[in-house]
Formats: sequence, C-alpha cells, structure tokens
Amino acid sequence: MTVPMPSDELAGFRAEARSWLEANIPAHSAPLDGPESRLFVLDWQRRMYEGGWAGLTWPSAYGGRSLSVAQQIVWFEEYARSGAPSTHNASFVGVNHAGPTIIACGTEEQKAFHLPKILSGEVIWCQGFSEPGSGSDLASLRTRGRIEGDEIVIEGQKIWSSYADIGDYQELLIRTDPGSVRHKGLTWLICPMDLPGITVRPIKTMAGPSKFCEVFYDQVRVPIGESVVGGIGEGWRTAMATLSFERGTASLALQIGLVEKIEKLAADCTDPFIAPRLADLRADAAALKAMSYAFALSSENGTPGAEGSLIRLYFAELSKRASDLAIDLYGIGAAELAGDHGWAYEYLDAYSETIAGGTAEIQRNIIGERVLGLPRGKA
Amino acid sequence: MDFEPNENQTAILDGLEQLISNQQIEPPKDGVVLAFSTKLDTELQASGFLDIAREEEFTLLDAALVVERLARLPVSAEVAFSALVAQLFPADEVTRPFAMASGNPLAPARFLTVARTLLVDQGDELLLIDVDPSRVEPIESLFAYPYGKLASLDGLTVRKMGADLAAAVRRRWRLALAVEGSGLMQSAIDTVIEHVTNRYQFNRPLGSFQAIQHRLAMAAGRQQSARWLALRAAWSDSEADCALAASYVQDAIPTMVYDLHQFCGAMGLTLEFPLHFWTYRLKAMLGELGGASVQARAAALATWQDAA
Repeated sequence: MTVPMPSDELAGFRAEARSWLEANIPAHSAPLDGPESRLFVLDWQRRMYEGGWAGLTWPSAYGGRSLSVAQQIVWFEEYARSGAPSTHNASFVGVNHAGPTIIACGTEEQKAFHLPKILSGEVIWCQGFSEPGSGSDLASLRTRGRIEGDEIVIEGQKIWSSYADIGDYQELLIRTDPGSVRHKGLTWLICPMDLPGITVRPIKTMAGPSKFCEVFYDQVRVPIGESVVGGIGEGWRTAMATLSFERGTASLALQIGLVEKIEKLAADCTDPFIAPRLADLRADAAALKAMSYAFALSSENGTPGAEGSLIRLYFAELSKRASDLAIDLYGIGAAELAGDHGWAYEYLDAYSETIAGGTAEIQRNIIGERVLGLPRGKA
Repeated sequence: MDFEPNENQTAILDGLEQLISNQQIEPPKDGVVLAFSTKLDTELQASGFLDIAREEEFTLLDAALVVERLARLPVSAEVAFSALVAQLFPADEVTRPFAMASGNPLAPARFLTVARTLLVDQGDELLLIDVDPSRVEPIESLFAYPYGKLASLDGLTVRKMGADLAAAVRRRWRLALAVEGSGLMQSAIDTVIEHVTNRYQFNRPLGSFQAIQHRLAMAAGRQQSARWLALRAAWSDSEADCALAASYVQDAIPTMVYDLHQFCGAMGLTLEFPLHFWTYRLKAMLGELGGASVQARAAALATWQDAA
C-alpha cells in the first residue's frame, strides 16, 4: 500500500485541481430532482470531463486518465474544499458503481460504448435492484426475464431506483432462470430506460426531492449481447461487484466531503455545550478519513473487499450525528441549513445512508461473517 | 404514588377521544409535508380542552395528558403552548395560537404563521409580541410544523416582562417539548411495530430479528421513560423536572428516530409511509431551546445550584 504523502507531484496536482475548481464551480446550487437536475448534473459532468477531471482512475482507453488513487483522493479533497456540487447526485450510479462494474465485468464492446458516455456527461444511470418484496433480502427478487432467441423479455417491478425518471440506462438485476431460487439464476443487465413497456413513477421522499422511483416492466425486450454483463445466470456475482463498489469506494468523495463539513462546524462553534460533542465528531472524522484512505489505496486496480462495509457503516452513522449536531449548532431556519449543501437536507437525507446499498444491519452481517469470520446465522 | 388516571383525567381523555372521533381527522395527503390542521386547532380552541390548566378543578398534569394524546395524531395543532404555557398569563392578556422563540424575535419560529402572540425568551426578560399575520413571512420547512418569521417589529405591539416570567415561560416550554415529544414517540413506535410485524424478509417477519427486537425494546424503554419524566414534570412544575424531561426527550430523539426509520427501510423515508407524521415533528424539536445539552445544564443548575 502506498500512502498519499505530500510530494512535489501531488502538490502540483493539487494546485492544478484547486485552480480548475475555483474557475469552474457552477454559480447556482444543484436542483435536487427532476429534469432540471438532469441538465445540471450532465452539464457539470461534461465540464469536468472536458477539463480532464472525470474518471481520474478509469482506464484512459475509455475516457479516463489512468491516474493513481492518491491523485483521486487529492482531487476529492480539493473538490470538497471548494464547495463544488455534491457528488451524491444523478450521476452517482453511473460514475461510482455502474461504470466500475462494467470495467470489472463488462465486454470490450460494452466498455467502449458506455464508459465514455458516462464520463462525458451524456447519460444518467439508475439502479434496478430492490423490489417491493425484496429489500434487504435482495436474493428473493422476482422480476423475471424470459429468454426468447437473442432477446430477454422483462416482466416485473423495481423500487427505490434513484433518478430512474431522468435516467438513460439502468443496471438491472432480474431472474432469468424460472426454476431458480435465491442467488442462482439471476442476470445483471444494462437496460435502456426509453424502451417500450417501461413505466416510471417518482416517489417523494422525506428530505424533499422525488428522486426515488418505482419502475414497472411490461414485456420489455432487451438484446442479450449488448445488455448482459458478466453472463446469463451470473448476475449475483456481477451484482456483488456492483455492491462492492457501492459499499466500498463509491462514497469516497462523500466521506471526504463530510470530514470537510465537520471541520466547518468546528470553525463555527462557539457554544461550550456543543463543543465536547464536536470534539468527538472530529475524532470520528479523522478516523473515517484514515480508514477511507487506507481502504481506497488498498483497493487500487481491484474490486473492493468486504472491509468496505466497515467504512460504509461508519460514514453513514457519522453523517447522522454530524447533521444532528449542525441543527443544534445553527438552529432551524439558519442560512447554513439551506440548499443542496445545507444541513437541513443532510439532516433528513442522512436516513438513507444506512439503508441504500444494503442496510446497516446487512453491513453488520457482512462485517461479522466476511471480515471477522464469524459463523453465519440462519437467514 | 398513583400511576392511573383519576376520575377527572379519565373524563377529560374520554371527552377528547370523542372530539377526535367527531373530527374524522385525515392525515396529510401524499407528498404534503406540512401537517397542521386549522380545523382541529379551531375545534380545540372552541372546546375548552386547551384551557384546562386555568380551571380550578383541573391541574397542569391534566393539561399535559391532553397534549400527549393530541401529539399522537398524524396532524398537529398549536396545543402544547396553549395548554401548558398560556396559563402563566391572565386569559385576557394573550391570544392564542402561540409561537415561541429564543433570543432573537426575528428568528424562525414554529407556528408563527398561524400565531397571534409570539413569546420571546431573552433570558432576563420576556417579549410578548402581538402578531399581525400579514407581517409573518412563511418559511418553507421540511419539519411539518408551520414555520414563519417576522421581518421587523416595526408597528407591532411589544410588551416587555421581567426575568421571573421569562424563566417560567422557559420552564413550561421545556415541559411542552417533553410532553409533546413523548406522545409523538408513542405513535411513531406503534407505526413501526405494525410494519415489522407484517413485513417479511428472508421468509420471516422483520420483527423476529433480534437486531430489530432489541433496538425496538430500547426505543420503547426510552419512550416510557420520557413519558413518566414528562408527566412528573407536569405534576411538580419544577425547574429541575421540566429541564430534565426536556433534556431526556431531546437526547433520545436522534437515536430513536433513526432506529425507527431504519426498521422501515426505504419505504419509511417516503411521504407515502405514515412514520413521517411523527418523526418530522420530533426532529423539529431536537434543536429547540438550544438542544438537550442546554436543558441538561439547566436541570443541573436547578438541582445542584452550588455545584453547577
């Protein structure tokens, strides 16, 4: 493992990143949902791509820059420091787990077609894993795909598909072997969202936006060759790669952003009653930063391991404590609470951090069984 | 010690159930965050339930039971300040609904868009501001209560009261937070118990997993503790008890609300699931009066004057 120690090279890279961000950060805050959100996110992604700041660790053959994780970390640090738009937006799925999954498991044709589009801000991706009856128990999913010649015909329903209403493609997990149960007989598909038979219904969340969606599939036909990632019936393995990215390195920018925000809280705190809690938070933030960096560096050029769940969980629970403290510090209605970087949104959206990508309970199971090697419990 | 409602309290609660039943209260429609019912607020004012603490045959504890019961509804009305704080003033000197603020009279305040009187605790004095509704700027809030703020005090009648009254209002505000909070917690827990009983994952009800049972049990323990602390505070009306109860409730809110939402998964984060009727309001209370640590300090001061 290399450690991102200050070096001339990294210092120069940092200065370059800082300078570009200062000159390019959007003047307006990001819309949180709907078509305006799509336009904003694609425009920002395109601007980063044209500036050479998208897909830093992605292979250069597919539009990335093949840089090191240490440089990626420096970019995220500067990104957070600058107040650039949150990375937890409509481009999140494409950039942070659909793209990495295609890099890890996709065909050359899929990589060549999709990866440059994701990086250059041409497309939005959404996720189609959870179903009304299959949340934590993902392997019980029932959305089916019937193989007819060189096509798969999809029938069923997905839910909690963030940004499906403005998405171009979906990473879709379905059951293609009708006799299979649990983890077997599943297939991971790239599903274009404009196909006939797809209906999307946005769901309004407590935090305000309608970014969660239900997606209904009525005889939706996708071509096998272009769509299947990782092989028919191998969907669980591909989905685990996706979830490894989602639970592992996908949130690195958000983790660094949280550390930055906690430092801002510390700078604003003059309340002697809140100060001890803030001291605890700063200690947690420092620990999170160290764990995240060590994990990201150790995952360089590979699929992140189960240890990512330790960090995912730590980050999710720290987010909640930080937003609680921010409300105490600033009070309801303060300017610090407004906007997409504001604490009011964080305060309510932080709930989703311990649910998305596997609930905190699932993360704890993973830590117990796959990191600590404890005996598996009965499901 | 008597933990059962007395005859008066039973009669009050029965009457209140009748009023609630007659109201046919509808929860807010899907997608609507604001959960204030003007109809309920008007009916409660007319019914006299909010004036119980002023009546000779009733007590502050009786009024607290009314607040607790009404907090369990999926909609809010301006209940707690009217029932538990207004008694400190002659009835003809103040007009409900009330809004409360700490320090800055121009700060956003819960209920200000519907209030006729704004009480501002400034530590060494209390401001009573007659609110002209046309002067209130509504604030778009994510916390279910109607929030508003005044742009200025120009032209408004502002009465200044002394430190003793300011302290009494602060004490009752703490009581109001504690009582309303414990009622909100109860309904939130009831909603989650129903969900984890009926929702199956891994071929089992969610509620059969120990990871959920244990934390729900802790939530139930916290709610019961909050309730008895709040009712004790209403019974004694002491500085220490009111501050302690408010501190306990505010301290319990983050863990309880996150746990309850956690057990309902993504569905619990939407406005299509009823949990937000109570948790939005709980979260709004979290930072009031400076949050739990300020109430804890006040409780310590009241209990151990010399040591604190």
